[in-house]
Amino acid sequence: MEIESMGSEAENAATKEIIIEEISRNYKLLHRHKLSQHKIHIGRDYHNDIILADPHICPSHLSIELIDGQWQITDNQTVNGSFIENLKEKKHAANNHIMRDGDVITLGKSQLRILFTDHSVEPTVAFSPFESFINLMRHPVALLLSVTLFTLIAAGVFYLNTPKEINFSQLLVPTVGMILGFSLWPAGVALVSHLSKHDARIMTQLGVSFAFFNLMWLSDLLESISSFNSASGSVIPLFFMSISIVLAFSLFWLNGYIGFHMTAKRRIIVAASITMLLFGGNYLVQYSNKSEFNPRPQYNATIMAPSFLVAPSHSVDEFIEDSNKLFEKTSKKAQEK
Amino acid sequence: MKVFFTLVFIILSSNSYASEQAEQLFNQLKPSLYQIKLIDKASGEKSSIGSGFQISQDGIIATNYHVISSYALHPKKYRIEYLDNQGNKGDLSLQSVDVINDLALVKRHVDHDMAFFQLSNNTPHKGEELFSLGNPHDLGMIVVPGTYNGLKKESFNERIHFTGSINSGMSGGPVVNKQAEVVGINVATSGNSIGFLVPHDKLVSLYQAFLKAAPESIEGQMAQQLTSNQDKLMTAILNSPWQVRQLGEQGSIPIIDVPFIRCWGDSNADKADALILTAVANCSLDENTYLSSRFFTGTMEIEFRTMQAKNIGTNKFYRLYQQQISSAGAGNRADKENVTEYQCHHDLVMPDNQTINNKTVFCTRAYKKFPNLFDVLYLSASIDREKQALVSHFTIAGISKSNALAFTRRFMEAVSWR
Repeated sequence: MEIESMGSEAENAATKEIIIEEISRNYKLLHRHKLSQHKIHIGRDYHNDIILADPHICPSHLSIELIDGQWQITDNQTVNGSFIENLKEKKHAANNHIMRDGDVITLGKSQLRILFTDHSVEPTVAFSPFESFINLMRHPVALLLSVTLFTLIAAGVFYLNTPKEINFSQLLVPTVGMILGFSLWPAGVALVSHLSKHDARIMTQLGVSFAFFNLMWLSDLLESISSFNSASGSVIPLFFMSISIVLAFSLFWLNGYIGFHMTAKRRIIVAASITMLLFGGNYLVQYSNKSEFNPRPQYNATIMAPSFLVAPSHSVDEFIEDSNKLFEKTSKKAQEK
Repeated sequence: MKVFFTLVFIILSSNSYASEQAEQLFNQLKPSLYQIKLIDKASGEKSSIGSGFQISQDGIIATNYHVISSYALHPKKYRIEYLDNQGNKGDLSLQSVDVINDLALVKRHVDHDMAFFQLSNNTPHKGEELFSLGNPHDLGMIVVPGTYNGLKKESFNERIHFTGSINSGMSGGPVVNKQAEVVGINVATSGNSIGFLVPHDKLVSLYQAFLKAAPESIEGQMAQQLTSNQDKLMTAILNSPWQVRQLGEQGSIPIIDVPFIRCWGDSNADKADALILTAVANCSLDENTYLSSRFFTGTMEIEFRTMQAKNIGTNKFYRLYQQQISSAGAGNRADKENVTEYQCHHDLVMPDNQTINNKTVFCTRAYKKFPNLFDVLYLSASIDREKQALVSHFTIAGISKSNALAFTRRFMEAVSWR
């Protein structure tokens, strides 16, 4: 009875499954093996159960054997040795080590991670609420619409800013140039995600990016309208400026979400860093170009067609009153020296 | 080439009588004539040169303020040196200045009473022959004959129009009549034998004020002169009639009717391919006050511009219109040492007569050495017509707050649509 039960336990143990993952040096998964035998040979020659091409590994490098329900590792007196590493212990020689879930074996220049079937996995990541937006933007029709809208706006802006008569082809060249220029960003992100073994998803990147570029044009327009309508010192243009920062952050977040698998926290950090780099860098460039003393006045002379005018005008008295305050401000500055 | 012709002209036109007389005068006056040099203490070399002439027996020498301006602003960096006709050198001390009329009094040490120039009691008559003395371009003392042509009509602060060749380095030298009495002081040239002199009565006033009480500090004296001059100028402007003039088809602008503000006009009506028809009227005060090579004040410029869209839409018109008004600059040169940076504010403004609605910008910067003086800049752009615009703009340098605000208020109410 006792013997039988032991036997059945041994049989159970003999069929205990083990997962061996070949991982890169920065712990990225390369291959995964799920084995259900009681002895596993690992090495460079072709007898082995797991064959590794690393030249620093011996032909029969090591074996892992199930003894009394525990997996034990045997190093076959190899040239470069085998080492074990896990969260609790420092790196040490692997011979006769009893494997635990999550142990990493280093052999030659390769690494193997040992996992048991009861290894707990991360909770399921739900689709982001942006998923439907992303899927919509990826659709060829939506992409075409975004790019067309972008083209029209870019051409319109060029037309408005050119102080002479302009024909279609003169408009076409800078517009196409602008589309190509703005495509570089999503294309670049797609390239990087392709190179880092993720899906490129270039159409998705393009669709989302151009949708956001159009939103940024819109926020620019709103910013202009608000600075046209407001007096100096108003916070409304600042509000619209912060919207453009939020838009940039969202775009970078979505680029990251589409192109790379990373934790939510990391994605936020990456998106925030790129946003800071963009706006902060812009500010720094302006700041470094600023001379010590500017003899020219800096003022905001945003004007737009009368149909954009919504704010009421002030009287001359009110304007003179505000000007009066300016004199006090500059007098104070003059005394500071 | 121009210089060559000028020279030929002078040689041909001067007759033997005049040259004899000039020589006689020169020999009589040269002991009281000086070259004045500003010496940079650190390098020991001269940094600017001019001329001067003694006006009292105890060694008071008159010259231009702009000859010694660097010393007036940085007395520690420079010293003033004279060189007389016998080659003697000596130090001069700054006694008093008149920045508005570009005059300065310096004093040399004298051991005994010396010969000096007599200041005339009369003004010359038109066409009278005068002799300008000075040391042009460090070439040596010379005498230049010329004629008195009255006072320059357009200047707020009087200047004599002298037809004769004044060159740089002669600044501060005297201009005498045949009786060897000083009637003016060399101050500026606009080339081709057109020279300008400070009338001698300005020097008489400065000298008499100096005899009564020497100024406590040169900087304080300058501040006081700048303040009272802008008061005088703005009182004249604010009390003068402002005529209503039409600009373009619809604009109505003020033209300040005083002789010292001159206006010019231009338009692009001849350019068939222009998208916007523009007419510009520019008015400016035809002088400025030199304080240093990097700091001028006392300027005033006014500009009006009307624009009419030809074959473009409202949005494009406004976009191009915005480019036109986005880079207004100061009317005078000034640097960090002397002024703060501009502070600006802007607002939508409609005058009480409700004839125009504007986006208006007002900027000011304060003077660091002269309290209560400012440079101001005003820019106003109409925003109430679909394809028409009226821009009004002015800059005034060296003005007090109350004058600036009074002028701005009147100006704002004077610009409108017809």
